[in-house]
Amino acid sequence: MTTVLIILALLVGAYLVAVLEGWVSTGRFRPAAPVLSGVALLGRESLVPRKPDRIFFEVGPVLLLVSAVLAAAVLPLSPGLIITDLATGALFVNAALAYVMVALLMAGWGPDGAYAMVGGFRFLGQLVGYSMPIVMTIVGVAMRAESLVTTQIVESQATLPNAVYQPVGFVVFFVAAMSVCFLPPFDLPTAPGELAGGVTAEYTGWRLAVMRLARAVLVVTLAASVTVFYLGGWNGPVLPPWAWTAAKTLAVAAVMLVAGRHVPRLREEHLLAWYWKIAIPLALLNILYVGIVLIAGSSSSMSM
Amino acid sequence: MSARASATLYGARVARASWLGRLIARATARDLSAFVVPGPEIARARGLDLRAAGLHLSPTPRHANVLVVVGWLPEGLREPAAVAYTQMPRPRAVLALGAKGVSPLPGPDVFVDLDQGALDDGVAKLRRLFAEGAFDPEAESFEAAALRSKTRYACPMHPEVVQDEPSTCPQCGMDLIPREGAAGAGHGHADHGHGGQDHAHHEGMDHDEDTGEDTGGQAHGWLPHPGGAEDEHDDAEHGESGYVEGSGEGHSHEGHGREHGLAHGDAGGGFETREHGGHGGMNHENMDQGTEDHNEEGPAHEKHGDMDKGGMNHGGHESMDHGDMGFMSMVEMTQGTPRSSDGLQMEWVETPFGPLFPGLPGGLSLTFTLDGDTVAQTQAGSAVGARAWEGLNGPVESFAERLAGLDPLSPLSYRLLALRAVESAAGARVDESDALARVGALERERAASHLNWLAGFGYLIGYSWLAKRAEELQLALLRADAEEVAGIRTRVRQFTRRVERTPLLRRKLAGVGRVPDLDRAVGPVARTGGRRIDARLEEETYLPLGFEPVVLEGDDAHARLRARLAEAEQSLGFVEEAGGVSTPGAAPEIDGASGRGAATVETPRGAANLALTLEDGDVTITELETPSARHLGLVEGVTEQRELADALVGVASLDLSPWEVVR
Repeated sequence: MTTVLIILALLVGAYLVAVLEGWVSTGRFRPAAPVLSGVALLGRESLVPRKPDRIFFEVGPVLLLVSAVLAAAVLPLSPGLIITDLATGALFVNAALAYVMVALLMAGWGPDGAYAMVGGFRFLGQLVGYSMPIVMTIVGVAMRAESLVTTQIVESQATLPNAVYQPVGFVVFFVAAMSVCFLPPFDLPTAPGELAGGVTAEYTGWRLAVMRLARAVLVVTLAASVTVFYLGGWNGPVLPPWAWTAAKTLAVAAVMLVAGRHVPRLREEHLLAWYWKIAIPLALLNILYVGIVLIAGSSSSMSM
Repeated sequence: MSARASATLYGARVARASWLGRLIARATARDLSAFVVPGPEIARARGLDLRAAGLHLSPTPRHANVLVVVGWLPEGLREPAAVAYTQMPRPRAVLALGAKGVSPLPGPDVFVDLDQGALDDGVAKLRRLFAEGAFDPEAESFEAAALRSKTRYACPMHPEVVQDEPSTCPQCGMDLIPREGAAGAGHGHADHGHGGQDHAHHEGMDHDEDTGEDTGGQAHGWLPHPGGAEDEHDDAEHGESGYVEGSGEGHSHEGHGREHGLAHGDAGGGFETREHGGHGGMNHENMDQGTEDHNEEGPAHEKHGDMDKGGMNHGGHESMDHGDMGFMSMVEMTQGTPRSSDGLQMEWVETPFGPLFPGLPGGLSLTFTLDGDTVAQTQAGSAVGARAWEGLNGPVESFAERLAGLDPLSPLSYRLLALRAVESAAGARVDESDALARVGALERERAASHLNWLAGFGYLIGYSWLAKRAEELQLALLRADAEEVAGIRTRVRQFTRRVERTPLLRRKLAGVGRVPDLDRAVGPVARTGGRRIDARLEEETYLPLGFEPVVLEGDDAHARLRARLAEAEQSLGFVEEAGGVSTPGAAPEIDGASGRGAATVETPRGAANLALTLEDGDVTITELETPSARHLGLVEGVTEQRELADALVGVASLDLSPWEVVR
């Protein structure tokens, strides 16, 4: 039952993200657009390139969807409303999201096309950038909660969300999360102007529909993880807990979608340089900072 | 074809009509995504707002269902356009604006005039067509003779052995390998299997056809064999209730595709070269992925097939044509392949970025030889330029018209150039008010052209807000009357401020697109290298306007972006002062005047010079120099040894117009 509810919530979330994305990019609010577009894609031919690596080609989009859903499985919508409350939940998010790279690499290699391939390998480079900061910032979150269990992480923020408690970690995680779901300005693997769609360029029909759905679910998952790790998850007055999680998640997704429109796509070299020269040191400092605050807090409470 | 009279779609998908089909067809009708030929910048230059008409612009034909043909399609774009059409999954349609489609494209499903109102009607018609005829059990296949290619059989070891029938090589006894291409494509193959140094970068692009799934050319650009591809679709679809994937059990088509893939795109499909991928300078991408072919080809290739995949760098398979190797180290595999500057060995992949590439002006044929994601070699040309300037010769009355038709991106500049040259030949004088009105028109075109460039550039660099805003301003400017220009100037000024404050923009663009050879540059490209070169400096009409060219230092994409914004604003100031934007009229009344004349106009891209002789009302061009012709030579220096994205930004920052170039 919980699983069904969460999956439903994910789908609704993905739908809303698609509506938002359309709204942001065309300036028109068309709530029916994703349905029309999805149905139309199902009615289109789904072509297979001439010389595909068939397994990679077919598996890529599906794996992308699976990894996004898997990561969402450990993110609570409200107390008790979580597919599986793993003891290593926060790390599991990371492990599941690692397959985003695998999926994109497969989708890039599979069709045997230069644009797609360059896109796939670009994302590999992107992973080299974001993967360290994203784990390191989660460390800071786990330290405060003294647990990797996502529900406990949410509970640890009952008085003060992590976004305020450790703002540096929040910013780094937010940016890294945008890179994971390759939203602009981190859309190096899909880059419409540079690679004519990149990893998605050779997908058509229902396969493209799966790809787009997977991407939307991925955005929801990452927005939800920002919510759970930094924005206090379900904590909030008046509204029921699930509504808080949902509202925060949507807000995060909206910020992610809008922000990318106002900056140019990053250059690959800058992306790597900034992640390694700025984001990783910041994430490490964040760990140090959280450690100091925790020790100071515990010693002061002990002395009382 | 007769069926087309009723509401059927030529590019319908083969399926039985059912309630589900009707539902999907209706959804499709409301979800039109367009691939624009020659390119969105042409639509914008003509004042068309495709988005406002309800079309979503797609970066690849693979994701589009409407091929929008804007205006007359030059010969060099017809095949690429047809390829793009075959790459679109069905149901699909052709919307022709202003000129009927041309072979090998199928006739347009909807044909309307080149204006916004007609476009809106056309889209409405398209929607009806899709809603009623998206699925048709009797849809025809699209066959274009021009895209057919011939499969021939060649010996992998002896390039001179090429036969029309499968057999064995008379010299070595090996089985001949089918290879596709235009007839006579026997070149380029040489040396394969000999370590193939000179072929290194063509290596490895077998396209496996045996699965019969292809649709031809994964890429936008590669010439698949459309006929064959279509047949496959049909096969796959027949007999299923409708929404089957277009792949599947189609029969296999050996060898479709063609030698030159023209369109933009990653190569891929079109070329059936099997084992040794594309000779002949193609495209083709990467790595041998398929393995079936190899296996068929006997033991020699078996190993090869097994190995390809493994090499992360898909490096140099060519050496693998030697059949007797069981294991090969990376060093061996990459022996003899070209070294990149960083010493890292990668297979070089020739990849087309044009003539229908979404981030660059349509018609610009750009081919990068990619070494990883670094551009190792560049070839640039035009698919849409004039064959020769002589084609513009003829009666003086229509000369301005003909020259204006040369470049749809800056027709007015060329009209003015023609008028001035003819006037100079005939010794005619233009009165002051006319000259001022011409300045107004020219400067408005400059501002619009720069904004149009900015819209495309914003798209390339993934800066959506910039692209959208520039497009809005450009269209508003084209539609503005004299009074509204002042308002647009204010908006351009605000826009410029906002762009200058954009985070990361300078970091992205600074240092990209440096031109090693600035002496060859003119126009904004030269002026952003600190040179005060501008044909307007010598024009009397500009003197009272207090003209001073926008000269910036930097010589990079960022400087060019700022310079074009500043010039756009400056030009709008001149438009205001000129007080009018009336387009210059036809050629002056010249009765049988003769003489030589020359003129220069500072077009949005730089100075264009025209020298001509006038004899008994006939014009003969003796010299025509266009800025893009000069700048095309700069492309190599701007791209080579650059990362792919930087190379593209560099090319785009030159604002090339492939139309004003002799092919």
